[in-house]
Amino acid sequence: MEKVKISSMQFFILIVLFEHGSALLIPLAMDAKQDAWLAILLGMFGSLLLYLIYYGLYRYYPNMLPTEYMQKLLGKVLGSVLAFLYLLHFSYAAARVLRDFGEMLLTFGYPDSPLFVVNAMLMLLIVYTVHKGLEVVARAGELMFILMYILAVAGFVLIFVSGLIDFSSLKPILEDGIWPVLKTVATQTLYIPYGEAVVFTMIFPYVKDPKKVKLVGLCGIVLSGINLAITMAINVSVLGVGLTNRSVFPLLSTVESIRVADFLERLDVFFMIALVIGGFVKISVFFYAVIAGLSTLFKVKRPSALTYPVGTVILFFSLTIASNFQEHLKEGLTIMPVLLFIPFHVVIPLTLLCIAFIKHRIKKTKALQPS
Amino acid sequence: MMRKGLLCTIMAFSICILSSCWSSKELTDLAIVAAMGIDKTKDGQYQITLQIINPGNVAGGLQGGGGGTQSPSVSVYGAKGANLVEASRRASSTVSRRLYYAHTNLIVIGESLARTEGIDVIIDAIDRDPEFRITSDMVIANGVKASSFVKSLTPIDKIPANKVLKTLELTEQKWGEHMKVSAQEVMKNLESPGSQALMSGFGIRGSAQKAQTLQNLQQTAPESTLRAEGLGMFKDGKLITFLYGKKARGVMWLRDKVQGTDVNISWKDKKKAIAYQVVRQRTNVRANMVNGKPKMIVRTRVEGDIGEIEVPVDIKNPFVILDIEKKIEAAIEKEIKESFMFAQKKQTDVVGFGEVVHENYPRQWKRLQHEWSDVYFPEVEMDVKVEAYVRRAGLRNKSFMSDAVKQRQ
Repeated sequence: MEKVKISSMQFFILIVLFEHGSALLIPLAMDAKQDAWLAILLGMFGSLLLYLIYYGLYRYYPNMLPTEYMQKLLGKVLGSVLAFLYLLHFSYAAARVLRDFGEMLLTFGYPDSPLFVVNAMLMLLIVYTVHKGLEVVARAGELMFILMYILAVAGFVLIFVSGLIDFSSLKPILEDGIWPVLKTVATQTLYIPYGEAVVFTMIFPYVKDPKKVKLVGLCGIVLSGINLAITMAINVSVLGVGLTNRSVFPLLSTVESIRVADFLERLDVFFMIALVIGGFVKISVFFYAVIAGLSTLFKVKRPSALTYPVGTVILFFSLTIASNFQEHLKEGLTIMPVLLFIPFHVVIPLTLLCIAFIKHRIKKTKALQPS
Repeated sequence: MMRKGLLCTIMAFSICILSSCWSSKELTDLAIVAAMGIDKTKDGQYQITLQIINPGNVAGGLQGGGGGTQSPSVSVYGAKGANLVEASRRASSTVSRRLYYAHTNLIVIGESLARTEGIDVIIDAIDRDPEFRITSDMVIANGVKASSFVKSLTPIDKIPANKVLKTLELTEQKWGEHMKVSAQEVMKNLESPGSQALMSGFGIRGSAQKAQTLQNLQQTAPESTLRAEGLGMFKDGKLITFLYGKKARGVMWLRDKVQGTDVNISWKDKKKAIAYQVVRQRTNVRANMVNGKPKMIVRTRVEGDIGEIEVPVDIKNPFVILDIEKKIEAAIEKEIKESFMFAQKKQTDVVGFGEVVHENYPRQWKRLQHEWSDVYFPEVEMDVKVEAYVRRAGLRNKSFMSDAVKQRQ
């Protein structure tokens, strides 16, 4: 384990930026149509519970990475295998976000550039950052957080001023009853983006003040949930349900609709910056988790030596996971939740927590019994 | 040493990357498309007509010479294709620069295309392309082909596309019979079963041939001009008819789009004796379910000033003002009712009532939506109430007429 500590503020920022990441850009929860914002908020509440599971595990092993305590809980072999599977999952997630990022840039900005070049540019930067350690990632996050918020507030004001918002698009609320919303929560918003917070179990031990991990994490999830819900509500009220659903990047279309006083228009760069910041933080966190996990699992002395090879793997992974963007989205929004998210984000952590709970009970009773 | 070498190599490589000109295009290699016209040819292909800005003739030089330059400020190219992308790509065989659509603010649709095939098919290309903005405005070429419309030159505004957009904006603010609609709004209406699309028509007055020549601009009153003509009513993506005059304005009231206009009322024997200028208005449409049938409740609140009085009338008396207000209310109510009845007759919900029902009665809407335009909308009842307020009457109280007429008697 690397001997660095990040402050709870930095941890908070990492969570918020991470959750925003790619979720801000995609038509999130659009199965629920105009109630997407509701589905996001409900998903957020569910994910608070998930976060408490992750936190519960951390409480039992405050100084260990999951890759280490899995071995303690399940035994050396089974634990190592499971830990390795988690690392694979994280690298897949990093590759997915990288692909998202590259596809988005290519679709609207660089139609003639190859995907490899765009992805390689970002990956190079991320490899360099992670090579320098978690603290650098966190500090970079702090800087970008300010920028992102300035842009978000400015964009919000501009959208309001240009009179684009038509709240009637959000009506009727709960058109087909609550079920479609709950279905969307169960199949999508519970896992995207909140479930991916499972990767923060790899970051917990680095937080300076362990007491604050719970509060800060929950606050981060709530804040990002509210932001995402507002963003989707604005997207729908500006574009209407149909267009939002049809868009690959609804936020881009919303930002493009801004027209203030005939000169403030075509602010695509707002979207671009949000995209790069979100992508950077999200991939960095996943990537860092992979590096930290691998180095503990295989007892590598210098974790930073792993960054270049693993970075290359993720880069090529991102190019090969899907042959086109539509396939990539389909995998991400419908197949991944069932195949990967439910076991890795819900079932396994919950089982681990139960095992930890039982083990500690046994230990306690043993300790109490005079032998 | 090894490290330094590596660093140098990386820095050397980044020179190639940092200039970031992978697919750079110099400004002089771009053909900026200001407007695009879309027609359908007889053999079933699409004909696109591109109005391309001649940068040299727009800036500077023109200001001194007025209309007297050698060449026009825009050049127009056309191309055919089975779809818009093919046509656009094929246009490269006549244009010397890369067609750049990011500044295309105006899409002109030929009337016959709008009537026969509808606009559904052409929307996707505009919607999908990352360069094309869906905030571009759409108009229908009323009575002419889109190609001849796009070829027309205009005085004062050097770029015809800008002239069209500015005219639309101005007339929407001041006169209220036309509406500036972006492709995005058109799409919203096309998608919704409870609301049909509306699009302003724009036509050429005078000869379409003449409008293409610079000579036309060298007169104080050009023989051919572009002007807003009619509000196109759509049904399921196809143009049905154009609304003119008060009928168009009635629809605009119902859509809550009137920003300012002029309402004339009669006084005593004289017709249209008092002009009322609308300053602001708000129209609220609600739906009520009566025996499973929707009933629309329309409430309009208008505020404005008296702009002109052509009869001797003493507006110092508040009761007279009340009287005037009543008449204005009646006049606006009539406009609204007539256009509503016309829309019902044509069986197309251009006023967006279906959407209101959808918002307020989502469950009942499920039953109504499939046959809304054909069956339910033509039978919908509407209850209109207009509240009109006269707030001011300009710089004078009593009309000049009242004294002048008295003295003559």
